[in-house]
Amino acid sequence: MAPLIEAEEVFKIFKSGAKSVQALERVSFDVEQGSFVSLVGPSGCGKSTLLKIVSGLLPASSGSVSVAGRRVEGPLENVGMVFQSPVLLKWKSVLGNIMLPVEFARLDRTRYLEKARALVRLVGLEGFEEMYPYQLSGGMQQRVSLCRALVTDPQILLMDEPFGALDAMTRDELDIELLKIWDGKRKTALFVTHNIQEAVFLSDAIIVMSPRPGRVIERLAIDLPRPRSFEMMSSSKFCDTTLRIRGMLASASGNPAAAAGSTT
Amino acid sequence: MKFSLKDIAEPLIFFVILLLLWEVLVEIIKIPAFILPPPRDLYVAFVDKFYILYKHALVTFMEAVGGFALSFVLGVTFAVSVVYSRHLQNTIYPLIVILYAMPKSAFAPLMVIWIGYGLFSKIAIAFLVAFFPIVVNTVVGLKEVEPELLDLARINRASELDVFAKIRLPNSLPYMFAGIKVALVLSVTGAIVAEFVAANEGLGYLILQANYSLDTALALVILLILALLSLLLFMAVEILQKKMAPWSAEVRQLEGSF
Repeated sequence: MAPLIEAEEVFKIFKSGAKSVQALERVSFDVEQGSFVSLVGPSGCGKSTLLKIVSGLLPASSGSVSVAGRRVEGPLENVGMVFQSPVLLKWKSVLGNIMLPVEFARLDRTRYLEKARALVRLVGLEGFEEMYPYQLSGGMQQRVSLCRALVTDPQILLMDEPFGALDAMTRDELDIELLKIWDGKRKTALFVTHNIQEAVFLSDAIIVMSPRPGRVIERLAIDLPRPRSFEMMSSSKFCDTTLRIRGMLASASGNPAAAAGSTT
Repeated sequence: MKFSLKDIAEPLIFFVILLLLWEVLVEIIKIPAFILPPPRDLYVAFVDKFYILYKHALVTFMEAVGGFALSFVLGVTFAVSVVYSRHLQNTIYPLIVILYAMPKSAFAPLMVIWIGYGLFSKIAIAFLVAFFPIVVNTVVGLKEVEPELLDLARINRASELDVFAKIRLPNSLPYMFAGIKVALVLSVTGAIVAEFVAANEGLGYLILQANYSLDTALALVILLILALLSLLLFMAVEILQKKMAPWSAEVRQLEGSF
């Protein structure tokens, strides 16, 4: 299959006054249509910046990103985005929040309301439709945020450490649910995380990035069978892969001891 | 919020003891009534002059609420224009900052020259003191939007009008209410000060009259009425806020109890 997202020699330099910080250096990668790809790297390596460039929210300093063969020059149409925080409107109900993209795009309300309700069922939020964000737990809020990203049925799902702020148990739960949803819809997914296990568990491929300025160290294909289950996490293939990635990240940061010492 | 019987009884008992102490001590120490009258005198003054008090309180109430309403309409309009127009930010805003640095009540004598002796010069002062808290809080509320929320709006190709109506304006509500509460109390103060300067009606005018005739009891009664007036306005806003922006007050409380 042809790649849906292609990044070619992307550089990003942030300038503020006389200072400039290079966030990304010669980043090239592609994402096949319908695949789940994760960007993994230490915090501050520019992976969130890269995601913003792919979505068209930020321009690249040089290089280019194209989606479906077309160069990205502004916010993309039909992209769903999930942020690290749920970013819900406090004054709207669960359903109201999920319908926000529909309202913005002036799409047919009644048609999408059905979709929204189906998504609510899919993530197990039935009965909470009329609740307000402050009445929900962090995990539930992030589920709402996921529904909102999916309601317009986008071609691409961009996720910026969506479960990074949640506790480990809730994150595991949401990872499983995310895969369940993704298996059903096969959206092209680009997922940013600094959790190596999470990345291996979810992805078809992992793009490992170096500390700032972010470069692509390697692209790894993960050939674990789908659907994924937690038992796979103890398989030797899973462990080998996470160890390999950890080693890459450690040597990229110039600290081989970190590879042996960490246990996450 | 739930009150237990203790929460109501405690302050009540405290106030009764305070009043009794006041009554007894004034008697024992023999403080002259024009310096500190006993609470009994206050009650008598309130009952005797109820109609006059009511008439003048109504005037002050109209001035304060009129000034506040004007400050709300103009304040919110101004805040929105400043947030959206760089030109206004560069031209009118510095002017407003200078005005902000002036003691607004000092305009009261000028207002008499400019607007006259009647109701409108008081409304003008109440407006002046209430205007700034509304503007400052609304501007902050319109600007303090999570950046990701704006990213989300851009990704979904929301129009500028949508971002205003569906994100910025509701986002500013809790801030606006905070400003409204300050503005309401200030507008009562503004009306009173304006009445001090030149008036023939209103509670400020009545305080001066009470002072001239050393009727300290009446002056104290008026102060209590003013406190009550401000409290009632404050509580009305509180109720409105719970209706219109329940998340502003409840967010913290609910987080605490979860």
